[in-house]
Amino acid sequence: MRVNARMHAARVIAQRQILETLISPGFYITLAVGLFLGYTMVNGFVRAVDSSGFNYALNPLYATIGRLVEGAFGKTFLDKLFAEGPFLFAFLVSFTPVFIFLSVSSVFRFGLEKNAGVIELLAYGPADGTAYFLASFTKDLLLTLLTILVLLAYLGITAGVSNLPLGPAFLLSLLITFFLSLAVYAYGILVSTLTGNASSALALFVGILLFFVLILLGSFAIVGGYVRTLSSVVAWIVKWLSPFFYGGLCFQGVELKNPFTFAAGLVLLSALTGVVLCASHLALSIRGVRA
Amino acid sequence: MKKAAVLILLLSGFSMTFGDVPVRKENLIYALLAFNGRDYSPAFATEEADTIYLIAGVDNFLGVRKAMVYYWPLTDEWRTDTAVLNVPFEGTLELIGPRGKTQAFSPVRYTYFNVRGEYELNWKVAQGAEADIAWKRWTDIMDAYNAAVRRYQTMSLQYQTEVDTLTARIQRIRNAGGNPELLVDRMSSLVKPEAPSAPNDFIVPPAPVQEAFILNLPAGDYNLRFRAPEGRILEGSEKKLVVHEKRRAQGIGYEIIPGDKWTRPLESTTPSSVLYVNGSSDLFLQPFYQDEYNDLRIAKTVRNDAKGNPNLMKWVRIQQIPRAKIELASPDFPTVRILEEPFVVEQTSSSTLGYRIVPYAPQGAHKGRQPDLMAFHVPLRPEIQRIRFMTLDNNGTPLAESGRQIRVVSTSGISSALLLLALAPIVVMAIVLARRARRYTP
Repeated sequence: MRVNARMHAARVIAQRQILETLISPGFYITLAVGLFLGYTMVNGFVRAVDSSGFNYALNPLYATIGRLVEGAFGKTFLDKLFAEGPFLFAFLVSFTPVFIFLSVSSVFRFGLEKNAGVIELLAYGPADGTAYFLASFTKDLLLTLLTILVLLAYLGITAGVSNLPLGPAFLLSLLITFFLSLAVYAYGILVSTLTGNASSALALFVGILLFFVLILLGSFAIVGGYVRTLSSVVAWIVKWLSPFFYGGLCFQGVELKNPFTFAAGLVLLSALTGVVLCASHLALSIRGVRA
Repeated sequence: MKKAAVLILLLSGFSMTFGDVPVRKENLIYALLAFNGRDYSPAFATEEADTIYLIAGVDNFLGVRKAMVYYWPLTDEWRTDTAVLNVPFEGTLELIGPRGKTQAFSPVRYTYFNVRGEYELNWKVAQGAEADIAWKRWTDIMDAYNAAVRRYQTMSLQYQTEVDTLTARIQRIRNAGGNPELLVDRMSSLVKPEAPSAPNDFIVPPAPVQEAFILNLPAGDYNLRFRAPEGRILEGSEKKLVVHEKRRAQGIGYEIIPGDKWTRPLESTTPSSVLYVNGSSDLFLQPFYQDEYNDLRIAKTVRNDAKGNPNLMKWVRIQQIPRAKIELASPDFPTVRILEEPFVVEQTSSSTLGYRIVPYAPQGAHKGRQPDLMAFHVPLRPEIQRIRFMTLDNNGTPLAESGRQIRVVSTSGISSALLLLALAPIVVMAIVLARRARRYTP
């Protein structure tokens, strides 16, 4: 199929998918849940400030979060997380519901439509499997952008009325989160092309995502010493496939105020997304669009 | 049978009155005196510890000895009990470098001391004969000081006895109606002896001269073992040695002391961090230099059984910045430069029994008292929304990464309107669904 025709088909299918998402309640509900979580985080932070600064113990929510984070990742991690204020953490918490909704619904829908023969039907017409997954990817990309802009506007208003700065790390984290999400969506597409039905695609996607998250959490867990176990070696190898590793590289660049490290992280995240999408294209070429 | 049961019952109750004594075990330890970036930390590595952590490019002291160790659950740490067993081993320390090259170290007689100026840290290590000279210099200073103190005590006693005797005689003459003028003159001519001032040659005096292996190594991973004089490697002495270095140096951190809670200072170490306060109390700032180390490695340098995060870096406070100035800028007042000033902490007489920090008045209310802290005073009021500040060096040049901002947080802004705004997507959803339903309803 010609590239122009594929792009056109992808654009038309993406428009349909975006419309379908926007006329159903899921996106709005998860966005509202995200905004509510953001409100709760900022509100709790403001109420945990006294004459001596920010003190976790002054707010029950932050006392719990502080204890959990410090217990698992140590005081240094906790201090860095809230050094600029509540917005980095609030944004990550707020973004999670929509991110999970978009990624999971795309994987499930891809599997479902493949199973029902929708993609096969399209492939007999003006589109192919690659155009379909590019449409799904474009839909996720645009809705993620919309979500980030809504969260930025809401948290910006919250920051304005409570006299809190959003902070440079927060603003850069929006960019990192956007690129990181794209890589995760690409994994969702790859999983959908490799599996036979919606439920197995969903299970595999959630499994991979959890695995990457566990490796990320494990890398920040406090330890008593360097222990080179088999699992740590496996984790070291697998981390190169994880979008969170490159996201972490970007955050390291932000911390060091090193634009090269930051840009390198974004480029690597984009490269990972591209590689995974190419792998999906290859998988579809080999396996076909039948379930 | 009954008696036995009663006895067991009594004994079981009695046993509860005794503390749970930690189990001590004999252990081959590496006794460490490790430089932690600003100071020397006494630490030790047990036989079970697989790695020792040291900072690169500075003298660190290691000794191998047999001692009793025990776990202390209250502070979650291992401790030594050298009162029971403390046997140093003679031999050679062998270090296998990253390229497999073995280097042998013999024990060296050493001492260390600090001849810090007003602020600067200035640790010195003296080895061999120099160590003896440094120790002798310190003992001579102390001997001279002790002799001066003894002389002062004797002279004080003589002075006091003379004053008492003259007072009694003057009183007797006055009671008899006589004129004690001569005795009064004599008493007023007596000179009260002055107490000798304590020696200030050293801030931290030299430690007694002892023997240790001195390691001053470049950063890298090494292997360490101890060879006894008869040639065998001592069991349990083989360890990995991680010599690490700072990632960034000369960062600027701040200790922030709230005016009403001086016992609860906080630190601002991350360069982009923001200080959030409610503006009910002034702040007192103490800027300091800081270096950045790996969180796990620096924690284990200070205490070998500590925990830390191997993938995070941590700023470590090094020393106060000498003769600095702080520039305050705010939309609410013109830019000002403030200087370090002495302050005294006073307990408030109100029912809250808090503290307040007041300027030090050496000729007034605080005569004869030393200031409690030297700090930069930043006055705050709830109506001041934002203050940016940075530290300038002695020449007035801004120090890199020293900029911070103080934000006076407004709690009234976070209102129910923001909560309602968070629910806006639900409203949009309702509108969309209603329009859709109307569109497709026949």
